[in-house]
Amino acid sequence: MPVQINFDSSWKDELMHRMENDGPWGNWELFKLAIEVEKHLVIPEFEGLQAPSHLSELTPLPHQLETAKQVIENMHGKAILADEVGLGKTIEAGLILKEYMIRGLVKKVLILVPASLVTQWASELNSKFFIPAVTQRKSYVWDQCDVIVSSIDTAKRNPHRDIIYAQNYDLIIIDEAHKLKNNKTKNYEFVQNLKKKFCLLLTATPIQNRIEEIFNLVSLLKPGHLGSESDFYEKYKKAGRSVQDDEHLKELVNKVMIRNRRADTGIEWTKRHVETIPIEFSPTEKVLYEAINNLRDEDNWVQTSAFSMMTLQREACSSREAVYYTLRNMLQRKENPSQAYQDQILSLISKVEAVKKNSKAEKALELIKKINDKVIIFTEYRATQLYLQWYLKQHGISSVPFRGGFKRGKKDWMRELFQKHAQVLIATEAGGEGINLQFCNHIINFDLPWNPMRLEQRIGRIHRLGQEKDVMIYNFAIKNTVEEHVLKLLYEKIQLFEKVVGELDDILTKLEFGNIEDHLIEIFGQSISEGEMRIKMDNLASMIEFAKGVKEEDSHAAAGNP
Amino acid sequence: MQQQEIHNFLRRYFEANDCELVENTPGYMTVQLTVELDKELMNRPFYWHYLEKVGGIPKPMSLTFITNNQLAPEDLKGETVHFGSPRLHQIFESSKRLAGYIRLYENKLNNKQTPLYPWLGLNLKISYECDRKRDLFVSIGLHLINGKMVKDFHDRLLQVPLTPKIPDYSFTMSSLIKPASGLLRIENYLKSEIEAEDHSWADEARERWDKDLSLLNHFYEDEEEQNDSYETEKLALKEQYEPRINISIINGGLFYLSEQAI
Repeated sequence: MPVQINFDSSWKDELMHRMENDGPWGNWELFKLAIEVEKHLVIPEFEGLQAPSHLSELTPLPHQLETAKQVIENMHGKAILADEVGLGKTIEAGLILKEYMIRGLVKKVLILVPASLVTQWASELNSKFFIPAVTQRKSYVWDQCDVIVSSIDTAKRNPHRDIIYAQNYDLIIIDEAHKLKNNKTKNYEFVQNLKKKFCLLLTATPIQNRIEEIFNLVSLLKPGHLGSESDFYEKYKKAGRSVQDDEHLKELVNKVMIRNRRADTGIEWTKRHVETIPIEFSPTEKVLYEAINNLRDEDNWVQTSAFSMMTLQREACSSREAVYYTLRNMLQRKENPSQAYQDQILSLISKVEAVKKNSKAEKALELIKKINDKVIIFTEYRATQLYLQWYLKQHGISSVPFRGGFKRGKKDWMRELFQKHAQVLIATEAGGEGINLQFCNHIINFDLPWNPMRLEQRIGRIHRLGQEKDVMIYNFAIKNTVEEHVLKLLYEKIQLFEKVVGELDDILTKLEFGNIEDHLIEIFGQSISEGEMRIKMDNLASMIEFAKGVKEEDSHAAAGNP
Repeated sequence: MQQQEIHNFLRRYFEANDCELVENTPGYMTVQLTVELDKELMNRPFYWHYLEKVGGIPKPMSLTFITNNQLAPEDLKGETVHFGSPRLHQIFESSKRLAGYIRLYENKLNNKQTPLYPWLGLNLKISYECDRKRDLFVSIGLHLINGKMVKDFHDRLLQVPLTPKIPDYSFTMSSLIKPASGLLRIENYLKSEIEAEDHSWADEARERWDKDLSLLNHFYEDEEEQNDSYETEKLALKEQYEPRINISIINGGLFYLSEQAI
């Protein structure tokens, strides 16, 4: 089959013009230089990477180079980059982008990242890759600049949306792509309708338990790769299998996905030290916790979901402020509350008011003083975050807050403040994602998330390439509470802290539990006695152990790479 | 490109553009730009516009390039230049732009009457593109009287002394083939050469394309009406895989050479 050949005709017209006007004619020395330059820039082979020789500020690691090569040569420029947290997915994406730009296959590029990462992406592309990436701040940027970094939330809204659809992008990069796992969302629809000639989806948590999530993600990248929606579900979902179980499916997924693991990279990582710090409640705190705990037995609470009971218990382990906030909401949101209900809440609120100190906060203060270096405190609750900020300030310790809801500029500013001026950064869960804080190596988990992946995201903020010191992780847990149970199960028995996330999500996938959090709620919320709780916990633990055992047997067969 | 080559390249570029090298030592150089080159490289149209309006004295900038950090003084302020640096690529582009068209005469060092024959010389880049790309550099000369075509024309020219002004005692012969039709001859010649090549790379790209296209069709099979995203994806596949060959002209021009020159 003949190939279309295009011959550049614009040169001829200009030649004619110059002949008519007797010039101007170029300088012979420059003419020769231009040819020498061109001979250097010509790339005679389809294969191989040119980018590394253009990057003086960067020495890519072997696994990053290999990934870039794979994506370009075997995946034809459409891939899910699913390395474990901290292995440098941004570098891989940058290498691929640079390679395509050098070869002239890509000119217009759209990079969609979480708002907190927009500035960071743009500055890394500029400083490490010499790619003139521009952050989207004005709507005219879309058509005037070639490489644009924007948050997806901005991009999907008009007038931006329409302008973006009118552009002819050669490459689209989407960071934190696991957020696109639900095909009913506006974000998904927005990305689906983008024209994706080349496309990179970056995610640290690609295969969770749900098979439809992987289907949605892959279909976004390469529609039809996993078949149509109906035959995919017919084939895989009815069987109730997970991605890892099905050899065929795994193979298909591996054709579009690359997942490097820490263990495979051969890099020496700084260590993680985990210290569990048990804390005793003060008498008033204990009274509050017990009061919440006892609610379970009372009839009029049965209709309230186990979930909010658990929430209250966990909040009681965090701060009285967090409990108060939830109680107040419960009171306000309930339609026609019975007198008993109101009394119950008010009685709890009075117990909240009786609490005069926060044992964890005191411990945190002591620890921060002892560390005498930068510390990140993670908490699940906004109310706790505010309280801690106030509390630390009372004791002369400077801190900055960090939340997912912050606007991009504010996030950058807070990060900057933390790096240059403050000793402590207090982050809520949503803030844990998408910000790199390698300059800090101490984390206090003021309270623990029940989803281990979220915990890994937290640690991943500081334990990543570029971290030069060992990472210290302090887990706070109040003795004889749900918190301690969870900690024992998840974080000691399974040794999640020393483990890394790759193995972990394999383990979780093997379990086919659905959501581990649901199980915990079930155990802690429905168990009638402590004894029942312990038995159920032991069951859960042995299931996890079992899955881990299975996983180790077929160790690398189950690993991500082909 | 090695750092030393980059250094030499920069020196030659600025010298060819009549810029004074204030300093030029191994490791770094400082260049006083001319007005023309300041406009070419420094991207400050407002300054020049303003200056022309008020009739001030132009002060073109000077630039310092560091080509080897080890050899340059530590406190030296300047731009570190390497193969990937945007500045170098800007200068690459500039050298191509400034020397796109040329007319030269062979400089025979004798005082005999010498006829010079017209040649059309073209330096081209052939790019083979699908989801990947490779390039080929080609240099072709066409004798505009007898129609003879030679390859590696540029390398041959490098052996010939050339000058932009027609030398005394030399005179040019008129072309029988007009440059425009000469260009067409070269285009046709290249196309026929390329068509005779092995295009398995293109066949393979088409196979990949077909495969992805059939997956795509299958994906949207269930849909009652064809939707926009199907069309978008289809177009994206075409752009991703469709094999095509682009021939672009880097530079070229007219060369008047003696009979034995090539």
